[in-house]
Amino acid sequence: MEKKGISSQIFKIANNMGAWLIILLVGIVLTAATDTFLTYDNIINVLRQSCVVAITAMGASFVVLGGEIDLSTGMAATFAGCNTALLMTKMNMPIFPAILISVFVGCICGTAAGLIVTYLKIPSFMGTLGIQYVIQGMILITTNSMPITGLPEQFLALGRGYVLGWLPIPIIIMAIFFLVGTIALRYTVFGRSVMAVGENAEAAKLSGLNVNLTRIAMFTVCGFCCAFAGIVQASRMSSGQPGSGTDLSMQALAAVYIGGTFKGSMLNTLAGALAWSFVNNGLNLLGVNAYWQKVALGIIIIFAVALDILRARLSTAKH
Amino acid sequence: MDETSEVLRLTKINKSFPGVKALTDIHFSLQKGEVHALVGENGAGKSTLMKILSGAYTKDSGNIEFEGRNVEITSPKFSEELGIATIYQELNLIRRITIAENVFLGRYPKKGGLIQWNKMNEDAKALFESFGIQIDVKQQLRSISLAQQQIVEIIKAVSMNAKVVIMDEPTSSLTTRETEILFRIIRELKARGTAVIFITHRLDEIYRICDRMTIMRDGCYVGTRQVKDITKGEMIAMMIGRELTQQYPVRNVELGDIVLEARNLDDGGYRVKNVSFSVRAGEVLGFAGLVGAGRTETMRLIFGADKKAGGQILIDGKEVRINHPRNAIAHKIGFVTENRKEEGLFLRSTVRVNTVMAALGKIMRLRWFFDFEKEKEIAKDYVKKLNTVTPSVNQKVMFLSGGNQQKVVLAKWLFSDSRIVIFDEPTRGIDVGAKREIYEIINQLAAEGKVILVVSSEMEEIMGISDRILVMHEGEISGELKKEEFSQNLITEFAVGGK
Ligand SMILES: Nc1ncnc2c1ncn2[C@@H]1O[C@H](COP(=O)(O)OP(=O)(O)OP(=O)(O)O)[C@@H](O)[C@H]1O
Ligand SMILES: [Mg+2]
Repeated sequence: MEKKGISSQIFKIANNMGAWLIILLVGIVLTAATDTFLTYDNIINVLRQSCVVAITAMGASFVVLGGEIDLSTGMAATFAGCNTALLMTKMNMPIFPAILISVFVGCICGTAAGLIVTYLKIPSFMGTLGIQYVIQGMILITTNSMPITGLPEQFLALGRGYVLGWLPIPIIIMAIFFLVGTIALRYTVFGRSVMAVGENAEAAKLSGLNVNLTRIAMFTVCGFCCAFAGIVQASRMSSGQPGSGTDLSMQALAAVYIGGTFKGSMLNTLAGALAWSFVNNGLNLLGVNAYWQKVALGIIIIFAVALDILRARLSTAKH
Repeated sequence: MDETSEVLRLTKINKSFPGVKALTDIHFSLQKGEVHALVGENGAGKSTLMKILSGAYTKDSGNIEFEGRNVEITSPKFSEELGIATIYQELNLIRRITIAENVFLGRYPKKGGLIQWNKMNEDAKALFESFGIQIDVKQQLRSISLAQQQIVEIIKAVSMNAKVVIMDEPTSSLTTRETEILFRIIRELKARGTAVIFITHRLDEIYRICDRMTIMRDGCYVGTRQVKDITKGEMIAMMIGRELTQQYPVRNVELGDIVLEARNLDDGGYRVKNVSFSVRAGEVLGFAGLVGAGRTETMRLIFGADKKAGGQILIDGKEVRINHPRNAIAHKIGFVTENRKEEGLFLRSTVRVNTVMAALGKIMRLRWFFDFEKEKEIAKDYVKKLNTVTPSVNQKVMFLSGGNQQKVVLAKWLFSDSRIVIFDEPTRGIDVGAKREIYEIINQLAAEGKVILVVSSEMEEIMGISDRILVMHEGEISGELKKEEFSQNLITEFAVGGK
């Protein structure tokens, strides 16, 4: 009996840790297997690499928690990055207004997705797939499919700069996003409404929540996050890259599911995104061939989500 | 009955969940060809015991004897192979294929690797006919009503030549007609020697269809009786551990002014036609009628859940615009819906989250942020007030029993300060003791001068708690009865559109 108590206690802790557990395991294995893993440079590097995916994934989390899916996040991010670059180079706009306008356009993309899903009643899977192609087209039209280079030096600080000489700015941006996101999800009517609509839209409506507005708002918030992620991305790569966003949507969704965000905490998404980067990093350090890395990552997604489902089943049914 | 006819014997079954001892030393024995009722209050452990038999849960300790052999039921598949068929409340059917395919899903008749469609359709037809049901088995499942789908589910389960059939509250979502069909199926099963375990909260059904009954209370075994030897009063006393002298508590409320008035409500000629009525403060107004008479739809119009095509709603004599539940809640209307799981609750959320859901504005700090301490206090408060049985306010609602779930829904509407409370089938799936508690809450609300609208298909209930009854027939109000005129005959007559 006593023993069962302890093991169920451990189980509970493991269950609550979600993807943090993966990070911990990867960390332990790699610390033992390599001496390059547990160094300041490597860890900071991994964190920095995670920023774009993590911020995008945070946006996607709101949509997924609200019971929908968004396939256009990566494109929306790329669009914002290219827009900022275009505005700054071709139109000689100062940095701040350029960012502002691009973020605004990102929000509009999100809102458009929200309106389509809410009022045309198209399943979000198809609706956002359509949006993603529309945005891709817009990117190709505006950039002519050419990378936009020659971005101002100050702008590059956003993705490459440091505060106090050691703390990368993108990590600070990521931290701020997750702080605000966590508060928004836990402590505000918006967050509660998103979860309620995602769980049972009819009951949410009958409890007096504004279901339509919630749906539109969560897509808008998602668009906002994506736009910001895309701008950080452009800064990191010192250019607006029209082709950079194809994989990002999927990585963001993977982070949400690997993280087990359904448990209701935004930090799980962060864990999901970080776990992804750490596994990537680990495979690199272990010298796994880039093609095999893809295979490994695919398997890890399946494994992580299967584990999550198993965990959910264990914690409800058997005990 | 001799020893050899026993198919199933459970001894000393125990089962715990974290914080809950669901079953303690349960005994149960089942004879061949009998219909055995399993009764007890909400949360008594009936479903848990059945889930142990069906392999969904594993017991902590105890012994299961099936046809004289000791068995360990480790999985749903094993249970099925033993010959135990379980009919779940949720449908496990596929809507886009035919009835026949659903029945034979996974065991299609084949010849040379190809499915023999004709044979399958004929077999399915014969199967339904053997239970006296005429139905076109070639139609898609989604083209028949939900209640009929339930019948298909039942036929499918019993078609596997089960020796024991478990039915957990099969009648709670069936109409009268389908209930009759179900009883016919049960009688046929009985004639074939199949044993049926029948869980219900409707005591008169026990007298109609069951031979023996086993009573459980708080996870313990209370006793097994022959149905013909026991009175309803004795049954209830065994279930709740005390006498329940009066199922419907008396109410003495002076009626006040007219609070709510509906004029010519209409949904465009579908289910609600020209409905008008008014209710006074402290009054309990009942809505009787057959299933499908438009009562739920009328309530949804009042609450703004569906669009009105015409008509007005007046509160305190002033016309109000209600186009969305949000408006209704702002006018202090609450709606305890008919299907608490689909429309009332967030099952995967906790008791506390559910309690505050209709009045989030009341737990804010600094206007924008939730005050979790306050939320917890409030939820605890209502758990105490309504006697909700839950290990804590952080328990997910899906783990509560039916009656306690209903109390959580009630708490939500009490916390949102409702003055006008609509109850749609408030006691569906709820045990006698909890029913009485719900009636008491209704009385208390009426005594506080609130307005109560009750929709119920249970004749006794509606007559027991209402001050006045409106009867609906095909979307219209076909009759009104004052308390002294209440009679089952009169209501039925109005309900079928007579007079
Ligand atoms: N998976 C679970 N986890 C935790 N507690 C559970 C779980 N399933 C059931 N319980 C608890 O076990 C007790 C027995 O529940 P059970 O569902 O068997 O009651 P019941 O007799 O079927 O009630 P009802 O008439 O309302 O259906 C209840 O206190 C319930 O809250
Ligand atoms: Mg039950």
